[in-house]
Amino acid sequence: MNNKKAQIQIFETIAVLVVFFVLLGIGFIFYTKVIKSNIESDAAEISQSKSVSIAQRAMFLPEIQCSEDNVPKENCIDTLKLDSAISVIPDNPLYYYDLFEFSKITISEIYPDSSASAKTLYNRAAPNDYKRQFKTRVPVTLYDPLTKTNKFGMIEIVTYTK
Amino acid sequence: MKKAQTEILGLAIVVVLVIIATILVVKFGFSKSTNTRNDFTSSQEASNILNTFLKTSAPDCSQLTMTELLQDCAQGTGLVCSNGEDSCNFVKSAATTILLETIGAEKKNYEFIACSNFNIREIKCDSTPLVNVGQPCQGQKKLKIFPIPTNSGTIYVKLEICT
Repeated sequence: MNNKKAQIQIFETIAVLVVFFVLLGIGFIFYTKVIKSNIESDAAEISQSKSVSIAQRAMFLPEIQCSEDNVPKENCIDTLKLDSAISVIPDNPLYYYDLFEFSKITISEIYPDSSASAKTLYNRAAPNDYKRQFKTRVPVTLYDPLTKTNKFGMIEIVTYTK
Repeated sequence: MKKAQTEILGLAIVVVLVIIATILVVKFGFSKSTNTRNDFTSSQEASNILNTFLKTSAPDCSQLTMTELLQDCAQGTGLVCSNGEDSCNFVKSAATTILLETIGAEKKNYEFIACSNFNIREIKCDSTPLVNVGQPCQGQKKLKIFPIPTNSGTIYVKLEICT
């Protein structure tokens, strides 16, 4: 009789332990999922910050920015400077890689001639393991110093991150 | 008696564990995700578009800027552009083209208005607007207002982007 009672108590202890470890397992799975999700969210945040800083570097690039009496103008691209920069940038890939990393920067005219072909300022294709891609479009004034006219343009910065 | 007390203690431990689990779920499961890039682009969008638009030259109107055309529109000097449009209609057709290619391309609704009697507190025109493109937003919006001085008083240009 005592032997049977002891067996039941041992079985009860085992059942409690099984339930305890199952709960512990569920808790651990939940914890790892939360940690994984936080790491992914942090990685996405870092990639986005990187994308924003590359976009800002492109928008304030002295090689293309308008200036008057050596005072740079915000959100303005000098089209003469742009044409020169397009030919200079491919000759200095390492210098511009430090600024723009893996990205593509194009400048297009919206008004008055929306059919004008877009100009690619910088283009460095990303390796296969760069899976994230962020596109930032910022309206800019395209200033032609020869005719002293302003056109409505758009600078598009596509950045690739891991 | 002792056994019952032990069971109550066990139940209390289970309740404490459930409360801790609920707190963890609420803390980590419903945390608001941040979006740095979207915050950066949307906060600047209305301001950048309006600022760039007002500086844009009109090829059919002696290369006058949109700001100068709006001033002419408010003063009613009767300027006629080479395509036959007056300054008000020229600004309207330019705004329609530009906003359609920029905000419209992102499938967002918008409203662009320029008016001489602008109620700055209620952010609306008190009279018929000089130029009106798009529809007012029903929900959340980002907007930018630019004052333009003219000989007949200040006119206000507003760009509203629905989010």
